[in-house]
Amino acid sequence: MEKILEVKDLELSFHTFAGEVKAIRGVDFDLKKGETLAIVGESGSGKSVTTKAIMRLLPENNTEYKNGQILFDGKDILKLSEKEMQKIRGKDISMIFQDPMTSLNPTMTVGKQIMEPILKHQNVSKAEAKKKAIELLQLVGMPKPELRIKQYPHQFSGGQRQRIVIAIALACNPHILIADEPTTALDVTIQAQILELMKSLQKKINTSIIFITHDLGVVANVADRVAVMYGGKIVEIGNVDEIFYNPQHPYTWGLLSSMPSLDAKDEKLYAIPGTPPDLLSPPKGDAFALRSEYAMQIDLEEAPPFFKVSDTHYAATWLLHPDAPTVEPPAIIIERMKRFPGSRYYEAENGGNHQ
Amino acid sequence: MKPTEKLLQIKHLKQYFNEGKANEVRAVDDVSFDIYKGETLGLVGESGCGKSTTGRTIIRLYDATDGEVLYDGISVHSKKSKKELKDLNRKMQMIFQDPYASLNPRMKVMDIIAEGIDIHGLAKNDKERKKRVYDLLETVGLNKEHANRYPHEFSGGQRQRIGIARALAVEPEFIIADEPISALDVSIQAQVVNLLKELQEEKGLTYLFIAHDLSMVKYISDRIGVMYFGKLVELAPAEDLYTHAMHPYTQSLLSAIPFPDPNYERTRVRKIYDPKVHNYQPDEEVKMHEVRPNHFVYCSEKELEALKAEHL
Repeated sequence: MEKILEVKDLELSFHTFAGEVKAIRGVDFDLKKGETLAIVGESGSGKSVTTKAIMRLLPENNTEYKNGQILFDGKDILKLSEKEMQKIRGKDISMIFQDPMTSLNPTMTVGKQIMEPILKHQNVSKAEAKKKAIELLQLVGMPKPELRIKQYPHQFSGGQRQRIVIAIALACNPHILIADEPTTALDVTIQAQILELMKSLQKKINTSIIFITHDLGVVANVADRVAVMYGGKIVEIGNVDEIFYNPQHPYTWGLLSSMPSLDAKDEKLYAIPGTPPDLLSPPKGDAFALRSEYAMQIDLEEAPPFFKVSDTHYAATWLLHPDAPTVEPPAIIIERMKRFPGSRYYEAENGGNHQ
Repeated sequence: MKPTEKLLQIKHLKQYFNEGKANEVRAVDDVSFDIYKGETLGLVGESGCGKSTTGRTIIRLYDATDGEVLYDGISVHSKKSKKELKDLNRKMQMIFQDPYASLNPRMKVMDIIAEGIDIHGLAKNDKERKKRVYDLLETVGLNKEHANRYPHEFSGGQRQRIGIARALAVEPEFIIADEPISALDVSIQAQVVNLLKELQEEKGLTYLFIAHDLSMVKYISDRIGVMYFGKLVELAPAEDLYTHAMHPYTQSLLSAIPFPDPNYERTRVRKIYDPKVHNYQPDEEVKMHEVRPNHFVYCSEKELEALKAEHL
């Protein structure tokens, strides 16, 4: 598949009063046309910062891009002027933010807000832009769009506001849509509607989506590929099945085990001990080593490179080194691996059916 | 564990805001249930369904519009002497959703936790007060060096632990936890849930656990109540609610949960709830009926027959 975006060895820091926060410490991935890439990780792992770097939305005065490239359409986004960037933002790459309550302008009608990117990027008259805005609201499933475009954000519910934010993001048929926790603030039933909407719209206009979330259930639902981030780095990346059924990094194991399953009860929930690393002084080796029971001496000394698991699946853990001892993942992870052809625990008769 | 002794009885509780005016909101509309000693009752529903209001009314943060809440036989909302009220306040405590907003930023952790101890005179002198706070910090997995810091010096998970320590300070019997983990990261959520479970086993606490994350609720609760538009529509043992969801709203809620399993997600079909399916007639009485043992559903007589036929 054709690559639409390539992030190469991105490294960036924030200069704060407390010192230099090494927020991104070498991130590599690419995004293919029409796919959904989910980025998961806890707060502070660098998932939002990575996407804000792609949008060039980080404050210029204290952000230092230390290394790397973000290639879009053959151009390095990091080298563009603000003016050139404005031509891309909202047109080729657009973004949906987490909180629909704060990402809309409370003093503008929603119609005006949807028309804004259309008027800016497309050479159309106001009347045509308005027509397009009504179509967009219809597309995202808003009843009575011709009346609703005259209303203000406070007249809509949370789920409806997120639909409006999506309509704005889709106004110019972007090549890439970045969704930063678009459903975290919403109820499960509304979340389900928004996810279904995003998936159906993706099919219609064939956009690529970068989906940031910490909810692994949502990831399993929307993603084609998954990147797991920890401490400013990607620690594991692969197809959705590879990450959920054949995870290799101890952090991914921890994440997957700390979610209660719907059919298990009583046994104690697995909790990853400790807290995420302080990126003011990031650990020397594997950032997860201090919280991991699988850590070896080398994890404390040297950061692991990516080891290849399959053509699409890579993990940065010394456990995959040929000289590393073979370890048993947590029982709940072995259960998952039993369902994955190609994992060492695969059991054919367990053919992948849940329940 | 088979809890049988009723700690709380909630009878026909109503909480209307702007009563009698055009913008009247029936946040809690005739809700009845019991909470047994030592159990965890989960309360779930979408935002605006009245689950938080129910919790806040039970603990007397609001005066109830109608109905009554009995705590160990004593009516919570009736007129009381100062001493009686204080006594009740000590037995019931609350843990709030937002660990950033629920701790006073200008108070040290020591004073935040000891506030209840001071009010109820639980420590004879300063030495004992300190010791209690240190013990509490240890109980929730922090240490005594933390006592002299301010809330902003802590992470979300740590702050929630401080909130828990504050609730525990007055040795309550019953704790209302209003979405205590929603604001936390996945890896930290598990830590806090485990802590709450351990404390329950140690101290025999009773919890009302309000949440919208259904998988966590199932994990922690003995019984679960589902609320929709101010009404309790289903109340059942946790396991039974998931295996035999009966009210169409409960079914729609359960079918909306994404599950961390791609194969399951590919086949999951979402049910959509339309209140019109009930087609209640004006003369029909709709109330809670026990369909299976301890499994109550809000339905009419006619629906009850159908449910019994299907689930018994």
